Amino acid sequence: MLHAQAWQPVVARTPLDAIRQRVPDPFERLFLEEYPKVVAIAYRVLADRSAAEDVAQEVFIKFHRSLSPDSERAAGWLHSAAVHSALNVIRGERRRAQRETAHALDPAQPPAANPERLVEDAAVRREVRRALSKLPQRTAALLMLRYSGLSYAEVATALGMKVGNVGTLLRRAEDALRKEVNRATPE
Amino acid sequence: MRHLSDGTLRRIYDEPLALTSLDQAHFDGCTDCKARFESIANGARATATLLSVPGFTPEPAAALRSVRIRIRTDEAARPPRWYERWVDRTSPRWQPVARPAIAVLLAGALLSGVTATGVAQGWFRVFEPRTVAPVQVSSSDFPTAGALLDYGDVKWLPSAPTLQQLSDATAAAGQSGLPVLMPASLPKGVSGPVSFGVVSHATGSLTFDAERLRASAAKNGVRVNPMPAKINGSKLVVNGGPALLEVWGLAANTGGTLAPTLVIAQTRVPTVDSTGATAAELEDYLLSQPGVPPDIAAQIRAIKDPSTTLPIPIPKGLATSEPVQVNGVSGILIKAVLGAGVVWTKKGVIYAVGGQLTPDQVLAIATSLH
Repeated sequence: MLHAQAWQPVVARTPLDAIRQRVPDPFERLFLEEYPKVVAIAYRVLADRSAAEDVAQEVFIKFHRSLSPDSERAAGWLHSAAVHSALNVIRGERRRAQRETAHALDPAQPPAANPERLVEDAAVRREVRRALSKLPQRTAALLMLRYSGLSYAEVATALGMKVGNVGTLLRRAEDALRKEVNRATPE
Repeated sequence: MRHLSDGTLRRIYDEPLALTSLDQAHFDGCTDCKARFESIANGARATATLLSVPGFTPEPAAALRSVRIRIRTDEAARPPRWYERWVDRTSPRWQPVARPAIAVLLAGALLSGVTATGVAQGWFRVFEPRTVAPVQVSSSDFPTAGALLDYGDVKWLPSAPTLQQLSDATAAAGQSGLPVLMPASLPKGVSGPVSFGVVSHATGSLTFDAERLRASAAKNGVRVNPMPAKINGSKLVVNGGPALLEVWGLAANTGGTLAPTLVIAQTRVPTVDSTGATAAELEDYLLSQPGVPPDIAAQIRAIKDPSTTLPIPIPKGLATSEPVQVNGVSGILIKAVLGAGVVWTKKGVIYAVGGQLTPDQVLAIATSLH
């Protein structure tokens, strides 16, 4: 079975006040503030560190061409672009299995106490990503933004919905994901 | 009291402080809600397990270096922009023509966006005309105060475009990248040397700003609908030109007034891209403003595909319009008391012929251009 752990943000954050005080360039400031969230979103979707970093960098390059770093929409734009770009990767991904295997053997990861479980976890993650790719894009995006550690208000901003609707849609998204996973792996 | 909704119960699993005191009081005494909460929490925990991934610490400084290198490489590889090639040699004589033309282009584009294509949250192409349609306007349609409202920051890259006057056809064609078109023959009354004008390709942006609009409306003493949060901060980028004008009759006007006998104009179609608010949201908001006359809003809404249709303002009471064919392409023939004009678009270029001529004369010129 999958190694069970209570959900928690998996990416360490830098205190924002410290960044704001010492970085005068608006783009650099935005980058340092938002990169941890953007890469966390992509990583939660892709379960692949290297691919997540690629997506996060592409998102910032696209942002640089399109929006002012001073825009009040900047954070929402970045979160939304990150989740949609990453979901597009898993939807179009045909070599997922190869990458999961490589990820399982990634030397950057902490050493596994149990190699068999590591391989098993990678297989489950692969199955979960397949299930995610079958959900409607908005449903999958909502799920991944929330499970990347965004608040309900941040999720609502990124997806252009009311905060009051996030809970209801999140619950439905969770049900849909579990149903999709169970359909592929019946007890 | 009604039971708490599933959405509320799901939220308090993540954000317990979001529960109001009234809901909290209900929850504390309701076994049904507690049981449902437990079921929802179990679902959330199961999902969290499914979505768990190993932790890692990102390296923003290294990532920023990579992004900076990519941005520099992209910048170095792109062709020079229009303003980097542009030598500003604008003749003051042409400025009265150029500035209103650009203002009309912007206003037309802003009022015409709809039916976005593209990816959500990215850039939308909201306007790229492939056809033209008449819109009846009158001078009283645009109250002065409304016209002065400040919707946000307008920027030209790097400055507003101006018009350059040229004396010969080869230079005009080279400068504009458009072929100089000549009629098979000139009608009676049109004579003299032809002048050429070129407006270079221009890029302008408007960043909507709710606060500036509020302040501007208050200053002008007019009422405006508050800018929706989704539009506030959105940016429209207008790309227009290059345009080439061929004008007959300017030399005869020594008094300084512009009354050309014939104008042949062509311009690459303008495009408008948007980020943030969708085109439909922009259209709904802009057309519902108190300053926009209802009949103009209705006419624009009635255009079948506004994202690909350029509205041509027809002054009410001074001119009429009718559909016409120019070498197999649909256009608009405009009949006025003092002259006539025809406008059509073909293969990404908008063409116009007009002057102190009869409708038959402008049509003959339009169909004989080569």
